[in-house]
Amino acid sequence: MVQDLSLNQLRELAERAALKLPDDELAKLLPGVNRARRQADELRQLVNAQTEPAGHFGADKGN
Amino acid sequence: MAASELCYLTIGEAGIGLRQKHFSAVELADACLDRIDAHDAKLHSFITLTADLALEQARQADKELSTGHDRGPLHGIPIALKDLYATKGIRTTCHSAVLANWIPDHDATTVIKLRDAGTVLLGKLGMHEFAFGGPSVDAPFPAVRNPWNLAHIPGGSSSGSGAALAAGFCYGALGSDTGGSIRTPASHCGIVGIKPTYGRCSRYGVIPLSWSLDHTGPMARSVEDCAILLQVLAGYDALDNASANVAVPNFQTGMKDGIKSLRVGVPRNNWFNENLGIDPQTESAFNQALQVLESLGAQIVDIDGQPFSLARKANQTILTCEAYAYHEATYQKTPMKFGSSVRRRMLEGAFLSAADYLTAQRARAVLNDQIRANFATVDVFAVPGAARPPEAFDNMDPNEQNMRPSFTNPFNLGGLPAISVPCGFTEGNLPAGIQFVAPAFEEATCFRVGYAYEQATEWHNHRPAI
Repeated sequence: MVQDLSLNQLRELAERAALKLPDDELAKLLPGVNRARRQADELRQLVNAQTEPAGHFGADKGN
Repeated sequence: MAASELCYLTIGEAGIGLRQKHFSAVELADACLDRIDAHDAKLHSFITLTADLALEQARQADKELSTGHDRGPLHGIPIALKDLYATKGIRTTCHSAVLANWIPDHDATTVIKLRDAGTVLLGKLGMHEFAFGGPSVDAPFPAVRNPWNLAHIPGGSSSGSGAALAAGFCYGALGSDTGGSIRTPASHCGIVGIKPTYGRCSRYGVIPLSWSLDHTGPMARSVEDCAILLQVLAGYDALDNASANVAVPNFQTGMKDGIKSLRVGVPRNNWFNENLGIDPQTESAFNQALQVLESLGAQIVDIDGQPFSLARKANQTILTCEAYAYHEATYQKTPMKFGSSVRRRMLEGAFLSAADYLTAQRARAVLNDQIRANFATVDVFAVPGAARPPEAFDNMDPNEQNMRPSFTNPFNLGGLPAISVPCGFTEGNLPAGIQFVAPAFEEATCFRVGYAYEQATEWHNHRPAI
């Protein structure tokens, strides 16, 4: 299960992503980011080693 | 005919009136423009009005129709566009300070199709900023209001499209739908909207929100009008990588054949009671609609709602990752130029990993298989248009939408065609809708069920007192 980020960790990740966000904005972002990370993590229960992503590159289509 | 009656004609009725010379295309356009002038200061449905262009196109339509050059059922019909469709020489803002002064040098494919069909463009419509988040309360343009009650949201993200149609400002509009953005405002504004199959309508020239979930489609005041609009919009477009090279049927063929013996799957169990669950009045309107379907000869079949419920998690993960990827450079340079609602939702995508994104795409494959498997035993799904009535602006909770079932985004995840049709009102005279969802490329089935239900009820004839 994914661990929630702290404000300091979020600030560090934002800097790595070249995002210049003031602290009050980071604080407002934090609950949504943690909810999104938990939600994404829950999806891991739905897949197994054989599950491929929806959508594939097609050499015939050139994209 | 009184101007207000003229403005609430269907596209079909307006087309007959034009050809029988009961009124001209200029009179139709003038009636819409006068109504917008009188009432839109309260609704804010338009960001940009193109009155001069509209009157020029209307005069051209009158001239062509009078000389026997008939471009079809949309000829001379006033329409409007969600402000994320690129329009050559006309400002296209996405309701955002980021694009507040952008004037495209090209038209979206769908815009060209509508123009070639002889429509009259009234202008560009308000929306949720970049089609995401909630009403844009700190954007450079005011948030769109619901014509049924100005204190309430019209739903989004195609807010202006829903509000303008309900208010009688235009006869048809384009919306876009990545997680419900055509069907939610259709439901909240008491009008009809269809999200066609993924790939059915071109996305070229439409500012992306999430490439693999974005759909373009029409909104109107009747099921038949949506079919007329989709007929013009649908078809392969080499400029759109996701465009499907699939034959386009006549969407009105069979539309009036009824729904006797049609099997309607309702995924109520394990979905409608998710977290806070569906609002009781909304569920009551939905249940009464199911009874109408049964009275028309349909069979209601319970199906498992679990994969539909889980679809929201995959949809939201994919959406935020793709949306952030598209806007990343702008967020790195000028993050605060985005309004607070879209900024806080979209930036979530900056903190999800590549593995998170691909796991969501893998879950998408699993959930879509589970959802589509139901079509072995039912012909369509029926679900509410929204989980609750439109909220009041003063009482909005950005987290609440995650605490209610999302009845729209499973069908973006699977690319399935879904239509929302008015199905009643909740307390405070706020509209509710019902969705009908069909297998891929079977929009005609959506129209057939929607039309049968619509014609058996009176909901689509109600008008807001603006």
